[in-house]
Amino acid sequence: MNDELTQPDPVAEITNLRVEIDGRAIVDGVDLRVLPGKVTALVGASGSGKTTTGLALLGEYPPGARVTGDVRAPAGVGYVPQHPAAVLNPARRVSALLYDIARDRVRHLHRRERKAAARAHVLRALADAQLPDGEALLGRYPHQLSGGQQQRVVLAQALLLGARVIVADEPTTGQDALTKSRIVDELSAVAAQGIAVVLLSHDLDVVRALADDVLVMRAGQVVESGPPERLWVAPRHEWTRRLLDAQAPVAKDETVSDDAGTLLRVQDLTARHRDGSRGATVAVRVPELTLRAGECLAVVGRSGSGKTTLARCLAGLHRDHSGEIRLDGRALPRSLRQRDREQLAAVQYVFQDARSAFDEYRPVLAQVARTAVRLRGVDERTARAEALTTLTRLGLPEELAGRHPARLSGGELQRAALARALLAHPRVLICDEITSGLDTVTRRGILDVLAGLLRDRDDLSLVLITHDLDTARLAHRIAVLDAGELVEQGPAEQVLSEPRHPFTVSLTETTARLAAGT
Amino acid sequence: MLGGVVIGVPLVLALLGPLFAGEPDPRGMSFALGDGHWLGTDFVGRDVWQQVLHGGRPVVLTALAATALAYAVAVPLGLLSALTHRRWLEELLMRPLDVLLAVPSLLLILLVASVFEPGAVGLALLVAVVNIPDAARIVRAAAAEVAARPAVEALRMQGETWWRMAVGYVGRATLRTLAADAGVRLTGVLYLVATAAFLGVGVAPDAADWAVMVDRNRTGLAVQPWAVVVPALLIVALTTGSNLLFDAALDKRSTQKERRP
Repeated sequence: MNDELTQPDPVAEITNLRVEIDGRAIVDGVDLRVLPGKVTALVGASGSGKTTTGLALLGEYPPGARVTGDVRAPAGVGYVPQHPAAVLNPARRVSALLYDIARDRVRHLHRRERKAAARAHVLRALADAQLPDGEALLGRYPHQLSGGQQQRVVLAQALLLGARVIVADEPTTGQDALTKSRIVDELSAVAAQGIAVVLLSHDLDVVRALADDVLVMRAGQVVESGPPERLWVAPRHEWTRRLLDAQAPVAKDETVSDDAGTLLRVQDLTARHRDGSRGATVAVRVPELTLRAGECLAVVGRSGSGKTTLARCLAGLHRDHSGEIRLDGRALPRSLRQRDREQLAAVQYVFQDARSAFDEYRPVLAQVARTAVRLRGVDERTARAEALTTLTRLGLPEELAGRHPARLSGGELQRAALARALLAHPRVLICDEITSGLDTVTRRGILDVLAGLLRDRDDLSLVLITHDLDTARLAHRIAVLDAGELVEQGPAEQVLSEPRHPFTVSLTETTARLAAGT
Repeated sequence: MLGGVVIGVPLVLALLGPLFAGEPDPRGMSFALGDGHWLGTDFVGRDVWQQVLHGGRPVVLTALAATALAYAVAVPLGLLSALTHRRWLEELLMRPLDVLLAVPSLLLILLVASVFEPGAVGLALLVAVVNIPDAARIVRAAAAEVAARPAVEALRMQGETWWRMAVGYVGRATLRTLAADAGVRLTGVLYLVATAAFLGVGVAPDAADWAVMVDRNRTGLAVQPWAVVVPALLIVALTTGSNLLFDAALDKRSTQKERRP
């Protein structure tokens, strides 16, 4: 074991950590060695205990937790949370947020030299956090930065503190492929400076690209660990295999008969967002888009490309647009307030954030059943029975369906949201990024449900809004949006294998690069 | 529990007090202590304990009625303007209230009182009216945040009725804010009723009324503090108790909801 000897000393170490809440272990017997300059990844579905383990390095535990085991970590451990906006004071400029920390580091200098030295510290930290044009950002407020920039500002704060270990919690969740690859670059640059990075993620592409050592967690325990090369080729534990399988493409129904009629046609659609009292910016412009019966259409684009606005126009949730949306040749009213029961039922919408799309005060089952009552005029009891059947088929048994939304997981709620829309017997089902906040295994479950729906219901057409090309593979046709313009559309295979528009090319290339693990 | 006791004392006194008060004694000396009066006498020589027993009902009833009335108008107004997408309707509902908001409430009460000379019912109505504008604004602000949630859009997608959306969900979700506001508002209303009574609106200047007692007996505070302290404490207990009670009810709800399996 010559290899062991040449390894540097770990900067932080966790031995036999056990965290218990109300007698239930959420982390059980975890060992973790964090080496300088290396990326250690904790992988697992949500609720597997990876965040609890990561936060243990900061000395933070959930309230009411009983902790046993040994955690040794240096004083400076930086934490980059999943939602960086939450830790940046919205009322202060970036410069203030960074100078506050830098000031402590120049205290030993003479008063007159401090300001310049602090500035140098701040600029170097920004550059190290992959924000080379940091000077321009200093004058802005956190809400004027993109999510990726906010994340890097938090990283710069950690670097300014002189952190030797950085814990990054789900840094790529919900990001598109281009942003993801930038985050990968940013974290590997940090590791290259000799800082240890602990990556908590369920995004296996990113883990494979970045990690030097991977720990697979399940239900609070490390089930397998090793370098990613070995794990990917020869997973030993059954759970690791399941995680990896979840990445494989979903089997899809290939047959949409060519004579299938046009179900939904969008013509000359221009949607606007109003800015304050006057003036409006064009959010999305679509000259023509059609959806055939029984077809699955994926609308792909980065965040801010206008894909959600397009979907909301179709569903009648965004009124401020010109142009026409025709269902079966009949124009749909712009606002869903003007749509009649039949039109409402025909076009249904599933929201990205399932948790905020449910009424938190009523059981899920009751809410799901209301669709059938309101849109199809079914009586209360039949609706309830029907809701239960649909929920069970989508993988939500009665025991879970009777609960309030707060007591269901994100994946379970998304299934309930699908059931709620399906009870209307829709002809067009619009799914807005419904898998983006979920871990790989849960996401795979939802995608399988969608594929099953396409197979079983010939009259159902799907519109998948996504930033993720892997999800888009489920579709028969793909439309690509960039900065509000429809830049490409065509059969899925063609768009994915021989993209024509430069934007699509860069999107497919980045996805391929991430998947290849470089 | 504590809230219940704190609010129970003034409520029981206010509602049942007049039954036990009995016939008024002959008047004695002003601001005297002892002499068969447990809490001494007030500024015109009446027994303070009897006044306390009699004086709760008008204050409590007027304040409660005014608060309830204010919300009865403000909640529908606020919900309607938060949930509509028609800007003109929102303006139509809220702008007139802003005008009312600009006039100091006491001035408005005095102005109307000088013309109509209202009784207790009139006073409750007046106090309710001056409380509607800011109550409606708070309802609208709280409801607007909830109305922007995807849950409301999801309800619209389900073709849900306005009533279910507005009352069943938006109203329910704003309850916490409203409860906090109601606690503060009840205190404000009590103060306003008391001040109006002090200025002779709605009640006779020597009426048996906790608020009037505090105001009238202030002059003898150094000689006979009970005539001020007891009714003042009862008013404080009423407001604190209602706040505690609201808090307890909401806490219980939220812990039930947030507990996960």
